Parts: sequence; C-alpha cells; structure tokens
Amino acid sequence: MTTAKRSIPTRRDLVQVTQHLWEIPRSFRSDMRAPARLYADEALLDDALGDRSSEQLVNTATLPGIVRYAIAMPDIHQGYGFPIGGVVATRLPDGVISPGGVGYDINCGVRLLASEASAGEVSPFLAELASRLYRNCPSGVGVHGEIKLQDSELDKVLVEGGRWTEERGYARAEDLQHTEEFGTMPGADPEYVSHKARERGRAQVGTLGAGNHFIEVDRVAEIFDETAAEFLGLFADQAVVQIHCGSRGFGHQVCEDYVARFQTTVHDYGIELPDRELVCAPFESEEGQQYFHAMACAANFAFANRQVLAHCVRRSFEQALAGKISGFDLHQVYDIAHNMAKIEEHVVGGTHMRLCVHRKGATRAFGPGSPGLPDDLRDIGQPVLIPGSMGTASYVLIGTLGSMEQTFGSTCHGAGRVWSRARARKTVRGQQLRQELEERGIAVRTGSMQGLAEEAPQAYKDVSRVVDVVARAGISKKVARLEPIAVIKA
Amino acid sequence: MRGIAIQHFKEIEHTADWAFRACGRDLAQLYANAARGLFALQGSTGSSETSLAREVAVSGVDRETLLVNWLNELLYLQETQRETYSCFEILEISETQLRARVRGRPHRPEGKLIKAVTFHDLEVRQSEEGWEVAIVVDV
Repeated sequence: MTTAKRSIPTRRDLVQVTQHLWEIPRSFRSDMRAPARLYADEALLDDALGDRSSEQLVNTATLPGIVRYAIAMPDIHQGYGFPIGGVVATRLPDGVISPGGVGYDINCGVRLLASEASAGEVSPFLAELASRLYRNCPSGVGVHGEIKLQDSELDKVLVEGGRWTEERGYARAEDLQHTEEFGTMPGADPEYVSHKARERGRAQVGTLGAGNHFIEVDRVAEIFDETAAEFLGLFADQAVVQIHCGSRGFGHQVCEDYVARFQTTVHDYGIELPDRELVCAPFESEEGQQYFHAMACAANFAFANRQVLAHCVRRSFEQALAGKISGFDLHQVYDIAHNMAKIEEHVVGGTHMRLCVHRKGATRAFGPGSPGLPDDLRDIGQPVLIPGSMGTASYVLIGTLGSMEQTFGSTCHGAGRVWSRARARKTVRGQQLRQELEERGIAVRTGSMQGLAEEAPQAYKDVSRVVDVVARAGISKKVARLEPIAVIKA
Repeated sequence: MRGIAIQHFKEIEHTADWAFRACGRDLAQLYANAARGLFALQGSTGSSETSLAREVAVSGVDRETLLVNWLNELLYLQETQRETYSCFEILEISETQLRARVRGRPHRPEGKLIKAVTFHDLEVRQSEEGWEVAIVVDV
C-alpha cells in the first residue's frame, strides 16, 4: 500500500535518549510522520529487536495526526498491526482512530481485589478456594455465563457498563469509584454495534475467556512504598486477587467489523498505510465516530464483565472461607484497561491538546492531581496493575508526573512474550508445568494443558525487569510486588 | 496439531499469536485449505465424520477481505452455534464473493480457540504452484 521500503530496525538505527529510552528517528523510513521511541534496558532492547515488533512500532509512526512520537513500552512484543506494548496519540479533530490500534480484546484489563486476611490464614483452605473460583467463574472461548441478556438489557450493559452491574447488585459503589472511567466509558451507542457482536456477547457477561486470561490469588510479597500501599489498602503478606480478562467475543466482533469496513474507508480518505491491520479513519469523520461509539460499548461490556467476575470471586471467598477465618471480604483496589483508545487532554510543547490516545497492551498511568482519579487517590496518582506471567510476580505501580510528561500518561502492561506459542508448546509440557507450580505451593485449576503450556513463564520476559525500566524511566512508581498462590485458567 | 506439516497448510512462528501459511492450485482450493488450517490449528483432526452441514456466503472488496470475512464467518459460527468444521467445499468463488458448503459436528469448546483472523501483512499472492497466503490470527 506504500512505496516506503520496509525493514526491521537494528541497533545502528537507534539513538539513545536517556539510560532507558531509545529513539528511531523519522529519517529511518520515508513514510514515518513522527519518530518512534522505545523504553528498554539493554536486554529488553535485544528482545524488542529480535522479532518484528520494532518494525510494527515504526509502522504506527505513519498514522496521520500522530503527536510527538510512537511509543513502545519495555514489554513490547510482536502483535498484528500495532505492536503489543504500543502507545500512539493523534491530535483532534483531524487525527485518526485505528481499530487495530486498540486490538480485538477491547478493554482487556486487570482488576485487583484485596482481602483483610493474610495469605497464611487463607492457605489451609486454598484447594477449596481454587476449586470454588474455577467453578464459579466460567472460562474458555465461547463459554456462556449465568447471565443471558435480552436486547434491551444488553443495550443497558453497553451504555452503562459498571453502573448496570451496580443496579443489578453485582457491584458496590466503591468498586466503581476505583475503576478506570468509573466503570462507564462515555460515548457508547449500541446503534453502531452489529447483530453478530450482540449474538457473541449476549451470554458472555461474567465469563473469563481463554488465552492469557486468568484469575489469580496472590500474596503481597513486598511493599516498596508504604504511604501509597496504605492509600490502596495493601499490606505485607495480605491475600489479594487479580482478574485479567476483557470484552470476550463481543469486543472481537466489534474490532473485526470495523477493521473489515475500514479497508475501504481508508482509501476514501486517501490514507496510505504499510499494513492493512492499521486501517483507520479521521476521528471526527462519520466512520471514525461510529467505531468510537461501538468501541465504547465493548469497553463497557468489559467493565461489566470484570465486575460480575469480581462478584463471583467474592462469592467464592465467602463459600470457601466464611466461618473459618475473618477478613475474607474483598475490597476493590482498582481496575485498569490496557487495550483502549481514549479522548484525553495532554500538555504538548506547553499547549493543552485534545488527543485520541491509543494504548494497545499499555496501561493508563495518570500522575497525582490528574483528572479522572477518585478523590481518595488524587494525591498519590492512579494505581497501575501489572500482571506477570503465570507462576511469577505481578506488580502494583502508581502513575507519576513523569508519565504525564513523557508518555501521554501511559506505562507497561505485563511481562511481554518472547517465545511463540508454537515454541512454548514444543518445549513445555502442561502436566509437568502444573506439577512444578504445585510443588511451589501454587494451586492450579485449568481446563486445558495446552493452554497452560503456552502461558509457561519461560515464554515471557522477566516482569521485574520490565517494571524496573518504567520505574527508572520515571513513568511509574513501584508500590508492591505480588506472588501467586493459586492460578485459575481456561 | 503440533508442528503441522500437512500438505496444504503449515503453522509458522509468531511471538504472541498464531500464524499459518496456506496454498492451493486455484483460489477455491486456497480458501478451502485456509479454512482447514484454521480448524487444524484449533485441534480439529480433519475427521470425515460429520453430522451437520451449513451453507456460507460472504463477500469482500478484494481477495484479502474476502478471505478474512470467510474465515471470521466460520469462527463466528463455531462460537455461536457451538460447532466445529472439517470439510469445506467452495461452490462459487470470484474476487469478491464466495459461497461454500461446510460440514462438521457439534462441539463443546474446550481450552484454546482462535478468536479472530487479522489483516496483518495479509496478501493473497500467486506462487509457482498456484496461490498462497500467510495468515496471522488472534488467540
């Protein structure tokens, strides 16, 4: 679709900006509209240059209306269209919105719930707790949950998201306060959602899905920032729970619908792109607005999904622990999205600008005093939840003023893959991995040994290394490290 | 399904997701083989035992869009109808239209299934043997 010569950047093409930041200048390829920047240390930089993710990053720097630079987080890895771990902001009104820049699992994200009990108190009952979680939280592709929605009720989910779950008794008011966008993404309009998306989503609210999605019971293994931890209600050795999932088949269908439709739209606007998965439309165009309305519906679907799952997790804790220990009730620490395009105001070159910020495999990390934070967190900044690979550590971070200055208020989202799923399957046996995890005291519940093997920790980068880079670069601050004691997967 | 090396489609390495290459002597065979590859990656054995048939019709503005729409339609049917397919007969095909009869059986999804077929670097191209394409899917 373009005449620019495609090639994969090498070390020689990079300019080091700071200790943990590298730039691919615009001169690297003639179709770049902005430079591209990568946050990494030496080893993570080698990983980023080891597959096609850096070429994909350069491709995103060609999007019309891009502001400052295309950004890659240290967990960058090869995706399709955008790399996973990419951030691109476009200026409004003429900059573009790209469905492929959000991805198929719209508002895939992570929620952290915290008990008042210690992991030591929970551990005698861990086997039963894990089994309850596996039974109460349906998993697998195409799996249906307890809730089947008629059209009018589904519309309410799509428009209201978290607010719908509160009306239906699945949420507490404080849960929504501690959810990105307070659980309701503005701009949702079901009119722009296809019949197929509805059919796929109708019975999937309250289901975990497959792939790398999971529920994990963790213990708080280390506190780095006592003050922030206290604000978030976290303490050492506490039992906490992470839920990682998104908008299920509904979001996939929304993305599919618009990526297919934009194949012609992109020509209508005379936009040339190096990869058809990057197709886009000017944000303020009819097509761009239609996608944004539909994407917001999928975002609300995902907020509702994680909230219903949180309800199922609370029920599991009660069933397994009530009468045995106190402090099993779970409060919500926060809920973040890591696949989303959002309209935000940022200061660029001293000027306030309205931008469409695409984060694909990247997390919003707003610093202290930012709009959009609940009152009780305004002074410390937004909590950021970074799940590690299975069986390894996860992190709780907070956003900083540095993220506002450098990355449009964004940071990393996880460990980032280094092995293909095919390689993981060939190298790791699911049954053996399960045994190894259980020998380390981690309860494992899964329906698919192949799925378990593909998510083996060896297939991922070292999450601690990723988190160290964003902390040293000043775009997030470490609050706590979590270690798993039970893993529930599809 | 591990290390698929069957004649008309083959899994290829991709860091985050799955990818495979399909080929065919003409477009009809290419599109049928792409569908076989899609289901083989998900663990279908290509069994000839089928108990149901569906007719599928899709359109697209070009060969690539037609291919993505065809494969995504099969994934949509797999998920919503809870079926798996192993036999793909292309009844009519042009650059922009495809009509096919697919045969399969009821299937309760277990574990990993493909969620979507992407346009990433997608190009249906002519080869010495006929046609080929490399497809990246989201899992």
